[in-house]
Amino acid sequence: MFDFPIFEMPVIGQRMLMAINAIIHVFVSHGGAVGGSIVLAALAIWANKRNDMNAYNMTYKILMVFFIITTSIGALTGIGMWIHANILSPNAIGGLIRVFFWKWFIEWIVFNFEVILLLVWFMTWKKHADSPQGRARSIKFGVSYAVASWLTMVIITAILAFMLTPNFAGQPWVDPEVFPGKVDYNNALFNPTWGPSLAFRTTSAIAFAAALAIMWTWIIATFSKNPDDMDAKPRVIKFLAGIMLIMVPVSAVLGYWYLSIIPDAAKAMIPTAMMTRAFEDKFDVMYMITIGIGATVLITTIIAYFAPKRMPYVAASMMVLAFLAFWGYEERVREFIRKPYIIYNYMYSNGIRATDVPYLNKVGILKHAVFIDEDKKVLNADKSNIVEVGHSIFQIECRICHTDNGINGLKKLTKGWSQEAIRARLNNLPGGGTPYMPPFVGTDADKDALAAYLHSLNKEGVIK
Amino acid sequence: MNWKLPFDIPLVTPTLGIPIEFYDALGIIVFLVHISFIYVLIGSLTAAVIYNIMGAVTKNEKYDKLAYAMTNPTTVSENMGALWGVAPLLVISVLYTGFFYTAILKVSPHILHIIYGNIFGFLLSYAYKFSWHKLENSKGFHIAIGLVALVTFYSLPPVFMSMSNLYLQPETFAYINNIWEIMLTPLTGFRLINFFLTALSFTGIFMIWYGMRMQNNGEKEVGELAVNQGKKWFMFSAPVNVAIMPLLLFMFTPRIAEGLLNSVFIYLPFVASLLLTILFFYLMMRWNKNKFSSKEVLTVSALMIASVLLMATARHGIRVVSFEEPLKLQAEATKSYMEASIAEYKKYKEEMKNAPAQDMSNPETLAQAKGCMGCHAVDAKLVGPAFKDVAGKYASAEQITPSILNGSKGKWGEVPMPIQGVTPEEADILAKWVLSLK
Repeated sequence: MFDFPIFEMPVIGQRMLMAINAIIHVFVSHGGAVGGSIVLAALAIWANKRNDMNAYNMTYKILMVFFIITTSIGALTGIGMWIHANILSPNAIGGLIRVFFWKWFIEWIVFNFEVILLLVWFMTWKKHADSPQGRARSIKFGVSYAVASWLTMVIITAILAFMLTPNFAGQPWVDPEVFPGKVDYNNALFNPTWGPSLAFRTTSAIAFAAALAIMWTWIIATFSKNPDDMDAKPRVIKFLAGIMLIMVPVSAVLGYWYLSIIPDAAKAMIPTAMMTRAFEDKFDVMYMITIGIGATVLITTIIAYFAPKRMPYVAASMMVLAFLAFWGYEERVREFIRKPYIIYNYMYSNGIRATDVPYLNKVGILKHAVFIDEDKKVLNADKSNIVEVGHSIFQIECRICHTDNGINGLKKLTKGWSQEAIRARLNNLPGGGTPYMPPFVGTDADKDALAAYLHSLNKEGVIK
Repeated sequence: MNWKLPFDIPLVTPTLGIPIEFYDALGIIVFLVHISFIYVLIGSLTAAVIYNIMGAVTKNEKYDKLAYAMTNPTTVSENMGALWGVAPLLVISVLYTGFFYTAILKVSPHILHIIYGNIFGFLLSYAYKFSWHKLENSKGFHIAIGLVALVTFYSLPPVFMSMSNLYLQPETFAYINNIWEIMLTPLTGFRLINFFLTALSFTGIFMIWYGMRMQNNGEKEVGELAVNQGKKWFMFSAPVNVAIMPLLLFMFTPRIAEGLLNSVFIYLPFVASLLLTILFFYLMMRWNKNKFSSKEVLTVSALMIASVLLMATARHGIRVVSFEEPLKLQAEATKSYMEASIAEYKKYKEEMKNAPAQDMSNPETLAQAKGCMGCHAVDAKLVGPAFKDVAGKYASAEQITPSILNGSKGKWGEVPMPIQGVTPEEADILAKWVLSLK
């Protein structure tokens, strides 16, 4: 991290910048693309088999919504993940691309099939809708789209799983003491959490997509005021709720399997990940939230299945909201429990490789910071620029997770602390209470400078 | 020269032993496909809006039909253009990792416009297309949607090209610090003029093909209009481009321009210009013809694509010439850094191995190891209270252990004590030690 130019996102910070993009992407890619393609292909097959043209036409209307959202928001936030990762942690994403280049390339080829099949399925739907042969042909596009869509998830899940559990069967994916590092690509790919996380993601994405489709069926049938849509609504909702009745319990079991494989150190991080630090001891609240989300999904699914015609809009939207909360939490937890690493045991959250720590502790974190100006890097004889030097260290080591005075702002976090207290804290990172923080990297002089900077945040008269 | 370069990623580049020329060719081809779709996207959306306005003004239905027909290539090419934009970036970011990421960081957060601006443009272009018949009676509003979509898409190339010009010229890393410093350079300006003119020319040729397809499908009138207009699009945009293209390579930094002068790449834009000139006269001779044979369509398409391919190859030439020196410098710097770092790490590991095992029954060692001293000192208040003060307040270890195990707040000021990762036995040792400090 120290060797790249500094970009500091004011107020919301780097993490939130990426999180916004990531959460939108997860919602759309899981609900709209991967789960959506499977659910809508199933719906089309089912409607066509029963010769239920009203339900078949309803499928097209839902597909139109999914098409618009997935090809715009979904696809572009997917590319956005990558651009945001460049900004957040070029060393981490650069390493991941060196390890997973060919898999990403294959994913891109599959992604081509996904987009083209979706375009063809959607844009030729009406042309094929009039004859049974045409519909059979159209459905083939839909099924192929679903397969391609799922395959993209297969690959990206491998990369996410790698970041948490990069080693396979105890074998390291790379020897960090060799330069340039020779990567064991098979170990990186077949890492232990890939299978479980993929199974869990797939089934819960299908359930989520079914919930989304139920909500849209409700909206379309109500607002189109088309008697055919009104007629199809209860049957479509019942079919989709049936999918959920199967997928929700299955994904819960698979989620438990996934959880059981996560390393212990990461598992210990889950309460903090779910509740943030201020509430990490409130287990009861945590359970209430989890049970609340689960119960909302179950109750609304049962309503949808047994009373599809009378299902109120509140239930349909609550169902989707519960899933949104669930995915938001799932992603936050998955990202958080990897701390203090970004690639487990290899690279810390702030982009510093674990093996570089002894060397940087000796020469100082700023020695190789090529993009930082000399006067903000080297301490003057009279130490008059100590705050500026400290600010440079903050930018390199802290900025990934903290802002100065915004989200997770250090001004607030160190309010009332003396400079000595801050200095002692730096000396003892991660410390007992904050196991998710990486150690401080750098010399004692670096710690002094950072402590001076952090202390200045709460000093009056210092404009920050 | 004052080079400021990041280190390379210290992992082998996964080329699978395939010669680098393969990746060069791959990069050029995927870029060609990408940029062709982008040209059609920019051009066809422009065409849709222009003919939509002309249809509304002249009340001539055939303009409106042509405008609507142009929304289909817009939908396809925006999707395919975004998709094929990923592949060139993937190739670049694995081969020239440091340069690419440095450029992205330097133009942040503005570079994110290519994500969020694109989403906005996509949604508006869909709204424009899918509301075409519903908004037939409020044309003004409908055209406004199209115009905003158009402006949005037009705002993307300046951002992206700034990033591209920055990463292609690594010597600029030392003095360019934000997007405006690279966007407002003659190089970016001229490349943008070249880009938009090529988009219009390319779309002109596309309209000839598309118009012939419509004619063959029985839509004679609209098809003829498309061919007729397509010719004009090309012939109005190409001449300026012919003049600009050969100059582009000379506008890079002196180091790169000089390198290009000594390479074959410097001739490619001249040849690309020549092809456009031939195409110009070819179309001029068919000025009154609105029906092209498939051979003629093939000829014009081939000339246009060949010209774009030559420019894409010249663009690759910039990388070849520009990156040779910085890549070498980067490799050397990375090697010496990594050797020093790994040596220090091995030394550290050796020291750890030889260090005597820590005696965790000794409370002071335990307090150090568990990070207590991060917030506490024996006789001074740091973040938390001094241990002496704690010892003064409590009488028994049982009063202290819950605070260590479960955290506490409100007893010593507003900063809470978080849960500590210690066992009950360890907490007991620590509590007794704290009490003994009285």
